[in-house]
Amino acid sequence: MKKFFSFVFVFFTIGYASAQDDLLNQLNAEKSNVKDKETTAFKGLQICNIQSTKMTAKGEWYMVISHRFGDLTEGLDNFFGLDNALTKIGGIYGVTDWLSLGASRHTYNKIYEVTAKYKLADQITNGFPVSIVGYNTMDINSALSTDMYPNLKFNNRLAYSSQLLVSRKFSEGLSFELGGVYVHKNLFDDAQELKDQYLVAAGGRCKLSKRLSVNLDYAYKINQLESAPLYQNPLSLGLDIETGGHVFQMVFSNSQPMNDVAVFTNATGKWNGGSLYFGFNMYRVF
Amino acid sequence: MKKTNIILMILASTFIISCESNTYNDIAVISTNPTYTKNIAPVVKANCISCHAGGSQYPNLETYDEVKDATQNGELICRIDQSQACGKVMPQSGSMPKTTIDMFLLWKQQGCLN
Repeated sequence: MKKFFSFVFVFFTIGYASAQDDLLNQLNAEKSNVKDKETTAFKGLQICNIQSTKMTAKGEWYMVISHRFGDLTEGLDNFFGLDNALTKIGGIYGVTDWLSLGASRHTYNKIYEVTAKYKLADQITNGFPVSIVGYNTMDINSALSTDMYPNLKFNNRLAYSSQLLVSRKFSEGLSFELGGVYVHKNLFDDAQELKDQYLVAAGGRCKLSKRLSVNLDYAYKINQLESAPLYQNPLSLGLDIETGGHVFQMVFSNSQPMNDVAVFTNATGKWNGGSLYFGFNMYRVF
Repeated sequence: MKKTNIILMILASTFIISCESNTYNDIAVISTNPTYTKNIAPVVKANCISCHAGGSQYPNLETYDEVKDATQNGELICRIDQSQACGKVMPQSGSMPKTTIDMFLLWKQQGCLN
Protein backbone atom coordinates (compact mmCIF):
# COMPACT_ATOMS: atom_id res chain seq x y z
CA MET A 1 0.00 0.00 0.00
CA LYS A 2 2.78 2.33 0.98
CA LYS A 3 4.53 1.52 -2.27
CA PHE A 4 1.41 2.34 -4.19
CA PHE A 5 1.17 5.77 -2.58
CA SER A 6 4.78 6.62 -3.21
CA PHE A 7 4.30 5.52 -6.80
CA VAL A 8 1.29 7.79 -7.16
CA PHE A 9 3.16 10.63 -5.49
CA VAL A 10 6.19 10.30 -7.76
CA PHE A 11 3.99 9.92 -10.80
CA PHE A 12 2.09 13.07 -10.07
CA THR A 13 5.11 15.20 -9.21
CA ILE A 14 6.77 14.21 -12.45
CA GLY A 15 3.57 14.95 -14.24
CA TYR A 16 3.40 18.39 -12.70
CA ALA A 17 7.02 19.12 -13.39
CA SER A 18 6.82 18.26 -17.04
CA ALA A 19 3.56 20.20 -17.41
CA GLN A 20 5.31 23.19 -15.93
CA ASP A 21 8.10 22.88 -18.47
CA ASP A 22 5.56 22.81 -21.25
CA LEU A 23 3.94 25.98 -20.01
CA LEU A 24 7.28 27.71 -19.65
CA ASN A 25 8.21 26.73 -23.16
CA GLN A 26 4.96 28.09 -24.44
CA LEU A 27 5.65 31.36 -22.68
CA ASN A 28 9.10 31.59 -24.20
CA ALA A 29 7.79 30.79 -27.64
CA GLU A 30 5.15 33.49 -27.31
CA LYS A 31 7.65 36.07 -26.14
CA SER A 32 10.02 35.66 -29.07
CA ASN A 33 7.19 36.21 -31.53
CA VAL A 34 6.08 39.50 -30.00
CA LYS A 35 8.20 42.34 -31.31
CA ASP A 36 6.41 45.57 -30.55
CA LYS A 37 6.49 47.41 -27.21
CA GLU A 38 9.64 47.12 -25.15
CA THR A 39 8.97 46.00 -21.59
CA THR A 40 9.19 48.84 -19.11
CA ALA A 41 12.60 50.31 -18.41
CA PHE A 42 12.08 50.34 -14.65
CA LYS A 43 10.53 47.86 -12.28
CA GLY A 44 9.22 50.37 -9.75
CA LEU A 45 7.03 53.41 -10.29
CA GLN A 46 9.88 55.38 -8.73
CA ILE A 47 13.59 55.09 -9.45
CA CYS A 48 14.47 56.15 -5.89
CA ASN A 49 12.82 59.47 -5.16
CA ILE A 50 12.09 60.52 -8.73
CA GLN A 51 9.32 58.93 -10.79
CA SER A 52 10.25 56.39 -13.43
CA THR A 53 8.50 55.92 -16.77
CA LYS A 54 6.70 52.81 -15.58
CA MET A 55 2.92 53.06 -15.70
CA THR A 56 0.23 51.14 -13.88
CA ALA A 57 -1.89 48.89 -16.07
CA LYS A 58 -5.57 49.68 -16.57
CA GLY A 59 -7.64 48.91 -13.49
CA GLU A 60 -4.65 48.24 -11.27
CA TRP A 61 -4.52 49.57 -7.72
CA TYR A 62 -1.17 50.32 -6.15
CA MET A 63 -0.72 50.92 -2.48
CA VAL A 64 2.36 52.92 -1.55
CA ILE A 65 3.98 53.08 1.84
CA SER A 66 7.29 54.91 2.18
CA HIS A 67 9.44 55.90 5.10
CA ARG A 68 12.47 58.14 5.40
CA PHE A 69 14.12 57.85 8.76
CA GLY A 70 15.90 60.71 10.46
CA ASP A 71 19.50 61.71 10.01
CA LEU A 72 21.55 58.54 9.61
CA THR A 73 24.82 60.26 10.42
CA GLU A 74 23.82 60.99 14.02
CA GLY A 75 24.40 57.34 14.79
CA LEU A 76 23.27 55.88 18.09
CA ASP A 77 21.98 59.22 19.40
CA ASN A 78 18.76 58.80 17.40
CA PHE A 79 19.39 55.14 16.60
CA PHE A 80 20.44 55.88 13.01
CA GLY A 81 17.36 57.94 12.36
CA LEU A 82 14.71 55.63 13.73
CA ASP A 83 13.51 58.30 16.17
CA ASN A 84 12.46 60.89 13.62
CA ALA A 85 10.86 59.15 10.68
CA LEU A 86 8.69 60.65 7.97
CA THR A 87 5.95 58.55 6.42
CA LYS A 88 4.10 58.62 3.14
CA ILE A 89 0.99 56.55 2.60
CA GLY A 90 -1.05 56.61 -0.56
CA GLY A 91 -2.70 54.90 -3.48
CA ILE A 92 -2.43 54.98 -7.25
CA TYR A 93 -5.09 53.85 -9.71
CA GLY A 94 -4.60 53.04 -13.37
CA VAL A 95 -7.54 54.70 -15.12
CA THR A 96 -6.31 53.49 -18.49
CA ASP A 97 -3.02 51.97 -19.62
CA TRP A 98 -1.66 55.43 -20.32
CA LEU A 99 -3.09 57.40 -17.40
CA SER A 100 -2.87 56.90 -13.65
CA LEU A 101 -4.04 59.07 -10.79
CA GLY A 102 -2.70 59.01 -7.27
CA ALA A 103 -3.10 60.59 -3.86
CA SER A 104 -0.94 60.39 -0.78
CA ARG A 105 -0.48 61.87 2.65
CA HIS A 106 2.95 62.89 3.94
CA THR A 107 4.14 63.55 7.47
CA TYR A 108 6.27 66.43 6.20
CA ASN A 109 4.17 69.61 6.52
CA LYS A 110 1.08 67.34 6.72
CA ILE A 111 1.01 67.45 2.94
CA TYR A 112 -1.66 65.87 0.77
CA GLU A 113 -0.22 65.18 -2.66
CA VAL A 114 -2.34 64.45 -5.73
CA THR A 115 -0.64 63.19 -8.86
CA ALA A 116 -1.31 62.43 -12.51
CA LYS A 117 1.00 60.38 -14.67
CA TYR A 118 0.42 59.90 -18.37
CA LYS A 119 2.30 58.07 -21.09
CA LEU A 120 2.97 59.98 -24.26
CA ALA A 121 5.11 57.45 -26.15
CA ASP A 122 6.36 53.88 -25.79
CA GLN A 123 9.79 52.56 -26.60
CA ILE A 124 9.40 50.12 -29.50
CA THR A 125 11.85 47.34 -30.23
CA ASN A 126 13.56 48.25 -33.51
CA GLY A 127 11.34 51.35 -33.62
CA PHE A 128 10.79 54.44 -31.54
CA PRO A 129 13.86 54.75 -29.28
CA VAL A 130 12.44 56.11 -26.01
CA SER A 131 9.47 56.09 -23.65
CA ILE A 132 8.05 59.50 -22.77
CA VAL A 133 5.93 60.13 -19.70
CA GLY A 134 4.45 63.27 -18.20
CA TYR A 135 3.98 63.63 -14.46
CA ASN A 136 2.25 66.34 -12.49
CA THR A 137 1.92 66.73 -8.77
CA MET A 138 0.02 69.16 -6.59
CA ASP A 139 0.76 69.52 -2.90
CA ILE A 140 -1.70 70.79 -0.34
CA ASN A 141 0.13 71.85 2.81
CA SER A 142 -2.24 71.31 5.71
CA ALA A 143 0.27 72.22 8.43
CA LEU A 144 -0.07 75.97 7.82
CA SER A 145 -2.53 77.57 10.18
CA THR A 146 -4.14 80.94 10.50
CA ASP A 147 -2.89 81.09 14.10
CA MET A 148 0.60 81.60 12.77
CA TYR A 149 -0.27 83.23 9.47
CA PRO A 150 -3.42 85.36 9.79
CA ASN A 151 -3.40 86.32 6.10
CA LEU A 152 -3.28 82.73 4.92
CA LYS A 153 -5.47 81.90 1.92
CA PHE A 154 -6.15 78.42 0.55
CA ASN A 155 -4.02 79.21 -2.50
CA ASN A 156 -0.96 79.59 -0.28
CA ARG A 157 -1.13 75.93 0.64
CA LEU A 158 -0.50 74.74 -2.92
CA ALA A 159 2.70 73.84 -4.69
CA TYR A 160 3.14 72.15 -8.05
CA SER A 161 5.64 70.14 -9.97
CA SER A 162 5.49 69.33 -13.69
CA GLN A 163 7.82 66.77 -15.12
CA LEU A 164 8.59 65.36 -18.53
CA LEU A 165 10.46 62.08 -18.27
CA VAL A 166 12.23 60.31 -21.12
CA SER A 167 13.68 56.86 -20.63
CA ARG A 168 15.47 54.28 -22.68
CA LYS A 169 16.03 50.65 -21.94
CA PHE A 170 19.43 49.83 -23.39
CA SER A 171 19.45 46.17 -22.53
CA GLU A 172 17.64 43.75 -20.24
CA GLY A 173 19.67 44.99 -17.32
CA LEU A 174 20.39 48.64 -18.02
CA SER A 175 18.02 51.61 -18.30
CA PHE A 176 18.43 55.37 -18.17
CA GLU A 177 16.09 58.28 -17.71
CA LEU A 178 16.36 62.01 -18.32
CA GLY A 179 13.82 64.55 -17.25
CA GLY A 180 12.91 68.21 -17.23
CA VAL A 181 11.28 69.49 -14.06
CA TYR A 182 9.46 72.70 -13.21
CA VAL A 183 8.48 73.42 -9.61
CA HIS A 184 6.19 76.25 -8.60
CA LYS A 185 5.29 77.27 -5.06
CA ASN A 186 2.39 79.47 -4.14
CA LEU A 187 4.09 80.14 -0.82
CA PHE A 188 7.84 80.48 -0.57
CA ASP A 189 10.48 81.84 1.76
CA ASP A 190 12.18 84.59 -0.20
CA ALA A 191 15.25 84.44 2.04
CA GLN A 192 15.87 80.79 1.25
CA GLU A 193 14.22 79.71 -1.99
CA LEU A 194 12.73 80.71 -5.34
CA LYS A 195 9.06 80.50 -6.27
CA ASP A 196 9.86 78.99 -9.66
CA GLN A 197 12.58 76.42 -9.96
CA TYR A 198 13.79 74.54 -13.04
CA LEU A 199 15.72 71.31 -12.83
CA VAL A 200 17.27 68.66 -15.02
CA ALA A 201 16.84 65.18 -13.61
CA ALA A 202 18.63 61.96 -14.44
CA GLY A 203 18.29 58.41 -13.23
CA GLY A 204 19.37 54.90 -14.01
CA ARG A 205 18.82 51.29 -13.15
CA CYS A 206 21.28 48.45 -13.32
CA LYS A 207 20.10 44.90 -12.73
CA LEU A 208 22.24 42.72 -10.50
CA SER A 209 20.15 39.57 -10.61
CA LYS A 210 16.65 38.50 -11.51
CA ARG A 211 15.11 40.15 -8.48
CA LEU A 212 17.67 42.74 -7.53
CA SER A 213 18.74 46.04 -9.07
CA VAL A 214 20.72 49.13 -8.13
CA ASN A 215 19.16 52.51 -8.88
CA LEU A 216 20.48 56.05 -8.84
CA ASP A 217 18.78 59.38 -9.38
CA TYR A 218 19.89 63.00 -9.31
CA ALA A 219 18.48 66.41 -10.15
CA TYR A 220 20.40 69.57 -10.93
CA LYS A 221 18.91 72.98 -10.18
CA ILE A 222 19.31 75.27 -13.18
CA ASN A 223 18.34 78.42 -11.30
CA GLN A 224 19.27 78.84 -7.68
CA LEU A 225 19.01 81.57 -5.07
CA GLU A 226 22.64 82.62 -4.84
CA SER A 227 22.72 83.59 -1.19
CA ALA A 228 21.18 80.37 0.08
CA PRO A 229 23.33 77.27 0.12
CA LEU A 230 20.83 75.54 2.43
CA TYR A 231 19.03 73.46 -0.19
CA GLN A 232 21.03 70.90 -2.11
CA ASN A 233 20.56 69.04 -5.36
CA PRO A 234 18.86 65.73 -4.54
CA LEU A 235 20.95 62.59 -5.03
CA SER A 236 19.54 59.18 -4.12
CA LEU A 237 20.88 55.67 -4.27
CA GLY A 238 18.55 52.71 -4.07
CA LEU A 239 18.25 48.96 -4.15
CA ASP A 240 15.14 47.30 -5.65
CA ILE A 241 14.07 43.96 -4.30
CA GLU A 242 11.24 42.31 -6.11
CA THR A 243 9.10 39.83 -4.21
CA GLY A 244 6.03 38.60 -6.04
CA GLY A 245 3.38 41.31 -5.74
CA HIS A 246 5.66 43.76 -3.98
CA VAL A 247 8.45 45.99 -5.13
CA PHE A 248 10.57 46.91 -2.17
CA GLN A 249 13.02 49.75 -2.62
CA MET A 250 15.67 50.66 -0.10
CA VAL A 251 16.80 54.24 -0.50
CA PHE A 252 19.66 56.41 0.72
CA SER A 253 19.06 60.07 -0.03
CA ASN A 254 19.99 63.58 1.02
CA SER A 255 16.30 64.51 1.04
CA GLN A 256 14.17 63.40 3.93
CA PRO A 257 10.79 64.60 2.59
CA MET A 258 9.28 62.43 -0.15
CA ASN A 259 6.84 64.71 -2.00
CA ASP A 260 8.27 65.69 -5.38
CA VAL A 261 8.23 69.43 -4.71
CA ALA A 262 10.35 69.06 -1.57
CA VAL A 263 12.64 66.39 -3.04
CA PHE A 264 13.54 68.69 -5.92
CA THR A 265 13.81 71.97 -4.02
CA ASN A 266 14.10 71.32 -0.27
CA ALA A 267 16.75 68.66 0.16
CA THR A 268 18.75 69.71 3.20
CA GLY A 269 21.23 66.83 3.47
CA LYS A 270 24.61 66.52 1.84
CA TRP A 271 26.41 63.41 0.59
CA ASN A 272 29.81 64.84 1.45
CA GLY A 273 29.71 65.49 5.16
CA GLY A 274 26.08 66.34 5.88
CA SER A 275 22.86 64.63 6.82
CA LEU A 276 21.82 61.47 5.02
CA TYR A 277 18.52 59.69 5.22
CA PHE A 278 17.74 56.03 4.88
CA GLY A 279 14.30 54.71 4.09
CA PHE A 280 12.23 52.54 1.81
CA ASN A 281 9.39 52.62 -0.70
CA MET A 282 7.01 49.72 -0.71
CA TYR A 283 4.58 49.12 -3.54
CA ARG A 284 1.83 46.55 -3.39
CA VAL A 285 -0.28 45.81 -6.47
CA PHE A 286 -3.90 44.76 -6.25
CA MET B 1 -7.53 63.01 -30.20
CA LYS B 2 -9.48 62.03 -27.11
CA LYS B 3 -6.25 61.18 -25.36
CA THR B 4 -4.68 64.58 -25.95
CA ASN B 5 -7.87 66.30 -24.84
CA ILE B 6 -7.84 64.53 -21.50
CA ILE B 7 -4.17 65.30 -20.96
CA LEU B 8 -4.75 68.97 -21.72
CA MET B 9 -7.68 69.01 -19.31
CA ILE B 10 -5.54 67.57 -16.54
CA LEU B 11 -2.76 70.05 -17.19
CA ALA B 12 -5.20 72.93 -17.24
CA SER B 13 -6.95 71.86 -14.05
CA THR B 14 -3.64 71.54 -12.24
CA PHE B 15 -2.99 75.20 -12.75
CA ILE B 16 -6.49 76.57 -12.68
CA ILE B 17 -6.43 77.41 -8.99
CA SER B 18 -4.05 80.31 -9.73
CA CYS B 19 -0.31 80.43 -9.50
CA GLU B 20 0.05 83.73 -7.74
CA SER B 21 2.84 83.40 -5.18
CA ASN B 22 3.20 84.93 -1.73
CA THR B 23 6.08 84.95 0.70
CA TYR B 24 5.75 84.00 4.36
CA ASN B 25 6.10 87.72 5.09
CA ASP B 26 2.96 88.41 3.09
CA ILE B 27 0.76 86.04 5.04
CA ALA B 28 2.19 86.61 8.50
CA VAL B 29 1.33 89.61 10.59
CA ILE B 30 4.66 90.63 12.03
CA SER B 31 4.37 91.33 15.69
CA THR B 32 6.63 94.00 17.15
CA ASN B 33 6.33 92.49 20.62
CA PRO B 34 5.97 88.72 20.28
CA THR B 35 4.88 86.75 23.33
CA TYR B 36 5.16 83.06 24.14
CA THR B 37 1.45 82.31 24.32
CA LYS B 38 0.45 84.26 21.25
CA ASN B 39 3.37 83.84 18.86
CA ILE B 40 6.03 81.40 19.97
CA ALA B 41 3.98 78.49 21.30
CA PRO B 42 2.07 77.79 18.05
CA VAL B 43 5.35 77.62 16.12
CA VAL B 44 6.98 75.34 18.68
CA LYS B 45 3.91 73.14 18.70
CA ALA B 46 3.88 72.84 14.91
CA ASN B 47 7.61 72.36 14.40
CA CYS B 48 9.36 71.01 17.48
CA ILE B 49 6.98 69.15 19.77
CA SER B 50 6.78 66.01 17.64
CA CYS B 51 10.29 65.14 18.89
CA HIS B 52 11.13 67.59 21.69
CA ALA B 53 8.51 66.35 24.12
CA GLY B 54 8.17 63.69 26.77
CA GLY B 55 11.93 63.50 27.14
CA SER B 56 12.52 61.77 23.80
CA GLN B 57 14.82 64.47 22.41
CA TYR B 58 16.85 66.97 24.39
CA PRO B 59 15.82 69.69 25.14
CA ASN B 60 12.18 69.33 26.07
CA LEU B 61 10.16 72.23 24.61
CA GLU B 62 6.72 71.73 26.08
CA THR B 63 6.38 74.64 28.49
CA TYR B 64 7.17 78.35 28.59
CA ASP B 65 10.05 77.79 31.02
CA GLU B 66 11.60 75.07 28.90
CA VAL B 67 11.43 77.11 25.69
CA LYS B 68 12.72 80.21 27.47
CA ASP B 69 15.64 78.28 28.93
CA ALA B 70 16.55 76.73 25.58
CA THR B 71 16.39 80.17 23.97
CA GLN B 72 18.40 82.08 26.57
CA ASN B 73 20.86 79.46 27.76
CA GLY B 74 20.60 76.67 25.23
CA GLU B 75 21.18 76.30 21.52
CA LEU B 76 17.62 76.88 20.31
CA ILE B 77 18.35 80.08 18.40
CA CYS B 78 21.51 78.95 16.70
CA ARG B 79 19.99 75.60 15.73
CA ILE B 80 17.04 77.19 13.93
CA ASP B 81 19.02 80.08 12.41
CA GLN B 82 21.13 78.74 9.58
CA SER B 83 23.42 81.81 9.59
CA GLN B 84 24.59 81.05 13.15
CA ALA B 85 24.99 77.33 12.48
CA CYS B 86 25.97 75.47 15.64
CA GLY B 87 25.03 72.10 14.23
CA LYS B 88 22.50 70.76 11.76
CA VAL B 89 19.55 73.01 11.13
CA MET B 90 16.31 72.41 13.00
CA PRO B 91 13.65 71.29 12.23
CA GLN B 92 15.42 68.36 10.61
CA SER B 93 13.18 68.19 7.58
CA GLY B 94 14.02 71.78 6.61
CA SER B 95 14.53 75.26 7.96
CA MET B 96 11.59 77.37 9.13
CA PRO B 97 10.87 80.51 7.12
CA LYS B 98 13.10 83.50 7.82
CA THR B 99 10.12 85.48 9.16
CA THR B 100 9.63 82.94 11.92
CA ILE B 101 13.32 82.83 12.83
CA ASP B 102 13.40 86.63 13.06
CA MET B 103 10.43 86.49 15.42
CA PHE B 104 12.38 84.18 17.76
CA LEU B 105 15.34 86.58 17.67
CA LEU B 106 13.10 89.50 18.54
CA TRP B 107 11.41 87.51 21.30
CA LYS B 108 14.78 86.74 22.84
CA GLN B 109 15.91 90.36 22.49
CA GLN B 110 12.86 91.60 24.37
CA GLY B 111 13.42 89.17 27.21
CA CYS B 112 11.21 86.20 26.27
CA LEU B 113 7.82 87.61 27.27
CA ASN B 114 5.19 85.12 28.31
